[in-house]
Amino acid sequence: MISLTSYLFISLLLFLCGLTVMIARKNIIAMLLGTELILNSAALNFAAYTRFVNNNLDGHIVSLFIIIIAAAEAAVGLAIVIRFFQIKESIHIDDATQLQS
Amino acid sequence: MFNEVLFLLSGLLTVFGALAVVFTKNLMHACVYLLASLFGVAGLYLTLGADFLAAAQIVVYAGGVVVLMLFAVMLTGGTVKDAGRYAMLKVPSMGNAKTFSIAALGVLVALSMTTKIILGIGRSYDASKELPAFTSTVESIGTLLVTDHVLAFEISSVLLLGALVGAVVISRPRKS
Repeated sequence: MISLTSYLFISLLLFLCGLTVMIARKNIIAMLLGTELILNSAALNFAAYTRFVNNNLDGHIVSLFIIIIAAAEAAVGLAIVIRFFQIKESIHIDDATQLQS
Repeated sequence: MFNEVLFLLSGLLTVFGALAVVFTKNLMHACVYLLASLFGVAGLYLTLGADFLAAAQIVVYAGGVVVLMLFAVMLTGGTVKDAGRYAMLKVPSMGNAKTFSIAALGVLVALSMTTKIILGIGRSYDASKELPAFTSTVESIGTLLVTDHVLAFEISSVLLLGALVGAVVISRPRKS
């Protein structure tokens, strides 16, 4: 039987995987992958609550905006990563210690 | 019946894709596993009756974000500086034992805090209620976007334009 709880547990697992990637990995692009996982878990929660609790479509709209913001964040984040690589020849997070080079 | 099968398949795809993103060593493979996980989330949206969201998820992530990530991996990958002692390329994408143990600690704390809350939610809401039938949500989402949520809609268009121009300006190589 599919219930709200099963969706919440899948979303929790997605969130924990994203958290692990963001903490454990040292590569900036891999950390951006973790951000995508976390944003997806939040959007999945909104859609699940729309289905099971209140049946208006505002949750879908919020999920749509989460997808939009994830796309914008990925574009700007990867641009910053590429610029950082041009300057430092590295994408290791421990090399990012200066604001101005 | 079809709904249960789709839920099971997409849930497994989502969870195992996310776990593979955590534990794979190759960053390229991590991007592809992320794509699998995002497809799983799109399937979960389908089981929730959110057809427009599933389509938007596939279009934006498979067509945009993951391709962008793969381009970034290829543009920044494999420098000679990362070669280790045995002339093998060190894996720059993984952390070490310290970061993984910190992450495991954080996961345990988050798990113990949230599991109780989620089980409480499962007990508190009325599961026996009859769920409404699936209908197409595209038309009502379009109506809601230009009536109730028109301000957020316009702001998101400005945000996307700013992100586009900002990405071009940031990543452009400068003459020095």
